[in-house]
Amino acid sequence: MPELQKLYDAVLNGDQKTAVAVTQEALAAGVSPMELITNYMVPAMDKVGSLFECEEYFVPELLLSARAMKGSLELLRPLLAASGAEPAGRVVIGTVKGDLHDIGKNLVASMLEGAGFEVTDLGADVPAEKFIAAIEEKKANVVALSALLTVTMPAMRTTIEALKQAGVREKVKVMVGGAPVTQQFAEEIGADGYSDNASAAVGLARKLVA
Amino acid sequence: MNLKLHPRAGERLADQLFHAGVEFPCGGESACGGCRIRVIEGDVPITEMMRVALTEEELAQGWRLACCANAAGAVTVEVDQWSVHVLTDEAAVPIEPREGFGAAIDLGTTTLVAQLVDLETGEVLGVETALNAQARFGADVMSRIQYELKQPGEPRAVIRRQLGEMLRRLAGGRALEEILIAGNTAMHHLFCGLSVEPLAAVPFLSPSLGEARFEAAELGWPGPAVFLACLGGFVGSDLLAGIVATRIDRHRHPHGLFDIGTNGEIVVGSREGIRCASTAAGPAFEGGRIGMGMRAGDGAIDSVHVNDGGFVCHVLGGAAPRGICGSGLVDAAAAALELSLVMPNGRLAQGAKTLPLSGSVALAQSDIRELQLAKGAMAAGLKMLGGEVRHLSLAGAFGNYIRQASARAIGLLPDDVVVEPVGNAALRGARMLLLAPHRREARLKGILALCSHVELAAEAEFQDIYAESMALRRYSLR
Repeated sequence: MPELQKLYDAVLNGDQKTAVAVTQEALAAGVSPMELITNYMVPAMDKVGSLFECEEYFVPELLLSARAMKGSLELLRPLLAASGAEPAGRVVIGTVKGDLHDIGKNLVASMLEGAGFEVTDLGADVPAEKFIAAIEEKKANVVALSALLTVTMPAMRTTIEALKQAGVREKVKVMVGGAPVTQQFAEEIGADGYSDNASAAVGLARKLVA
Repeated sequence: MNLKLHPRAGERLADQLFHAGVEFPCGGESACGGCRIRVIEGDVPITEMMRVALTEEELAQGWRLACCANAAGAVTVEVDQWSVHVLTDEAAVPIEPREGFGAAIDLGTTTLVAQLVDLETGEVLGVETALNAQARFGADVMSRIQYELKQPGEPRAVIRRQLGEMLRRLAGGRALEEILIAGNTAMHHLFCGLSVEPLAAVPFLSPSLGEARFEAAELGWPGPAVFLACLGGFVGSDLLAGIVATRIDRHRHPHGLFDIGTNGEIVVGSREGIRCASTAAGPAFEGGRIGMGMRAGDGAIDSVHVNDGGFVCHVLGGAAPRGICGSGLVDAAAAALELSLVMPNGRLAQGAKTLPLSGSVALAQSDIRELQLAKGAMAAGLKMLGGEVRHLSLAGAFGNYIRQASARAIGLLPDDVVVEPVGNAALRGARMLLLAPHRREARLKGILALCSHVELAAEAEFQDIYAESMALRRYSLR
């Protein structure tokens, strides 16, 4: 039996090689993918999030942990799909049209994935139609919009308007974030939630789908 | 920054100035000259004490001492302590002599410099500096663009009027043959009255990056003006002029130009080709988003050394420390690394929450994080553009004041490259072009043909290089 605690440590320490190796061993030994995710990876990413919030971890550590987790998830994803296990929620995420910045968005996507959400990352400079198409295709219940520039923030508003026009606004909760975005702005444009960092975004998403 | 005051019964102007926050470094003894103010409107009579502390020329320009100032009517004064030190440039440059006078302008987001130049001799006859009056619409280019989108034309009117006043003071009734302006792409568009919409979203490609010419009558200026062409989305003619000043287009070996600021700019190249990029470094180097951050004015810690296992801080103006400016921040981080009070990953050692420097001034964990973001963006841009660079010119005020040893220790500047501060390269380049009316066109065409603009954030490897560059650790390009 492989030492599964090593998976927790590898994600926490951003050690992708070990994370992948332990996952392979565990699967070979017959451990279920859900057990790896629920008992080791989700707690590890939770810990990463709390270390980030108390300023012990910073962006580079977050990215490394996310990479370790992703390496492991790539092995598990096909098995999960085959088993038909339900994710914590289905999120469509992207940086809005006009904005190319995606580091913050990538962090949020990784943290959500680490928390057991099924995440569809549409990338950066995403037009509203792409969000709409992905919501319907993926049967998403959360849409996460990111913007780093004050000049691209209005695109969040127009994206939400487009969701209404297309008749999908009621199907999803909309969460927004990014350096210039504020709680007040989120309320103004009719978003359902705002978070000022990647770790708190997980708590927000959990609350929105609850 | 200007201050408008009305006389009040029984109160001296000096007291009003003091209450408005003007400091008297020598305690109001009129001995140090550190409380200089310049009268913009109204009258502040010259006292005997002022004659001792200030020169005839300064008095003629309207400079007075705040600590012994008085006035009978309303006055508007400029407070020297509150002004940003604006970098000008008077280096000798090659010249094609022609008759008359001209002007070179560095139109910065924060500061403005205009020089009156004798076109026959190349001599700089006068300099005017000021803070960009558009600052009231926002401190950075993005907020200015947003303002223009809401109130089209207002930023244009403000900057044209302000520069016109500076030019008229410089020209003193003379007509100017030509005025050359260098500035970033946003300043270019706002001045020329072009649509800023393309600058507000990806791919940041404006159809109107070219040189713009204006008749004197159109601007109400003492001569016709040329705003030099932009190089790309967020790389403007300030960098074009910088390339002229540092001769990157003439070098055989790759040479870099680094303008460290809120919007950091990087140019790397030689006569074979030039690549340029801009990177959103954030305001940390200007003291922004740093808890106790401030501009390099009185009371700012501007340098930090290690001595006897502790910090030795230098404070501008010799007073008690009130905050820390960009060069002090870089020094403090380097010193803290040396003392192992900060780890290379940016974490304060032993779970400390703050890093006390001097008096009440301390850095918080989040301040170090801001510095990591800012310096990581600059270093990542250089790594992506500049593998072959052996020589790096540092443009701008910050590049002039920063201590290289500290900048290398925290991994802002690379270890294996010769670094040289060049001062206000944009202004010097604009003056060089002003003084080369015949060769100018071919030179500019040549540079524009050599240059290509790189959108860093669009490159796949940017995220990893950026994250790796956030570490407070030395790096080499090769």
